[in-house]
Amino acid sequence: MRNWLIAVLLLSFSLLVLIPAADAAADAATCLGCHGSMEGAVNVNQDKYSKSVHGSFDCVTCHMALKGAQHQGLSGKADKATLALASEISPKSKIDPIAQAACAQCHPEIYQSYKTSIHGQNVIVKKSSDGPVCTSCHGTPHYIQPKSSKESMVNHFNVVKTCGTCHEEKHRAEKYGFSPLVMERYLESFHGRKLKVGHTNAPSCVNCHGSHDIKSDKDPASPVNGANKIKTCGKCHSGATEKFVAAITHKPLHPIAHFTELALIVLTMSVFAFICIHVLLDIIADIRDRLFRKGGPHE
Amino acid sequence: MSNNTIPNEIERFDLSARIQHVIMFTTFLLLSFTGWGLKYAYQDPASAWISFWGGAKIAGIIHRVAGITMLLDFIYHQFYLINQARKGGMRLTLVPMPKDVIDAFHNFMYFFGLRKEKPYFGKFNYMQKFDYWAVYWGMFIIGASGFFLAFPVTVSSLFPLWSIQWIWDVIFAMHSDEALLAIVFILIFHFYNEHLRSEVFPMNWMWLTGKMSIEQLKHHHPAEYDYLYGDKKKK
Repeated sequence: MRNWLIAVLLLSFSLLVLIPAADAAADAATCLGCHGSMEGAVNVNQDKYSKSVHGSFDCVTCHMALKGAQHQGLSGKADKATLALASEISPKSKIDPIAQAACAQCHPEIYQSYKTSIHGQNVIVKKSSDGPVCTSCHGTPHYIQPKSSKESMVNHFNVVKTCGTCHEEKHRAEKYGFSPLVMERYLESFHGRKLKVGHTNAPSCVNCHGSHDIKSDKDPASPVNGANKIKTCGKCHSGATEKFVAAITHKPLHPIAHFTELALIVLTMSVFAFICIHVLLDIIADIRDRLFRKGGPHE
Repeated sequence: MSNNTIPNEIERFDLSARIQHVIMFTTFLLLSFTGWGLKYAYQDPASAWISFWGGAKIAGIIHRVAGITMLLDFIYHQFYLINQARKGGMRLTLVPMPKDVIDAFHNFMYFFGLRKEKPYFGKFNYMQKFDYWAVYWGMFIIGASGFFLAFPVTVSSLFPLWSIQWIWDVIFAMHSDEALLAIVFILIFHFYNEHLRSEVFPMNWMWLTGKMSIEQLKHHHPAEYDYLYGDKKKK
């Protein structure tokens, strides 16, 4: 009886080990066997991949359906929801929309939140090629780093630049009606400067505007719309009032501010010029006196 | 007015004035060093420079504490002046006068060799008056704007709503650009006059001793010398 039991256990154990191996499909090593040394967009750096947050995944976790004869027998099958999403975002993802859509499988809450955002609406509903999908902000999917990593594109100190890749562009500003100087005005503000020199409490774009669920500032649900703005600014500036929060708009510099600054620069430059000339003349006169007027009125 | 004996040296700055000056330049340097990192945040050494000062948060605290100390020093100076006046004997030697314009003109003529003698300077020449009043300009422009920037929520209630679109940019420009002016002014004008000038190099020790020799006084501030000791000359 006992022998039987052992025999069954052994058999089932070896089946457990052998079956996946037989189908050995597409564990990462199999894929990297080719893709690790291929050139161009299909190359995947094994080292960097294994260090990414998803480095322990098999490739087919995301690349559910592989095309082409070279992948025969390696491909799995995508589920309906992923296929549907993939077709919706296909204008955004030329290489493998299914893999692009696969993020939603493990991150359904973020996906739901993204879907309601202005970015998500633009991509999924309006089928625009402008809006970002996950990888637009989080970077090359194979090398995604945790947000805390300095290499992450959405790290507190990197995310402004990431937003800027689209929000700095004039044609998009015109098309969607945001200030074309939004980046410039932020960068020269105290918030932007403090962030640049490493102030951990300085707000980046997402601290005020939100991230996955980002809304247009005209949307009443936006954290920077109307009354919400008072609450949003109040996260750091307790006691913020309507007058206080009206200061930050990212709009181009007002003419009064522009000309005041110009006047101050003119003042600074004139004083600078005056004192430089004064000091230079003083030096020349001093040298002259020492050389030619020894015993004169100077000593 | 005069005794018959002329002393070897004369006190120009009393102990209180010297201490006020030390506080002023210490806080000035701290403010310049920490503020510079933020003004030029996008130039390369800025981040490293800010970390040298303990990181953005600590540098911010240093900047605020130094700023408030400087403002207090400035306010104290006003009481010091009132006290001088109350004691009597305060002469308005630092007040800009039409003579300063003439002195400046004469000085330039001297530079170009059109006059043989330096101008007939009083206790403080026009450059020193410029130095002194520049602090007032700095205090009102940089000090006030710095105070506004440090307490933005409170201060925002003071401004009318129609100014909100530009007032903060104006305040920021005032603080940042005038601070640059102050730094440039001190670095070039004050440093040349009190440190690099061949007669005073490496520095004019008066900031510590408060005293000036009679020869120096006679040479650089002849009008003051005559005022104190020259009643026979009666210029």
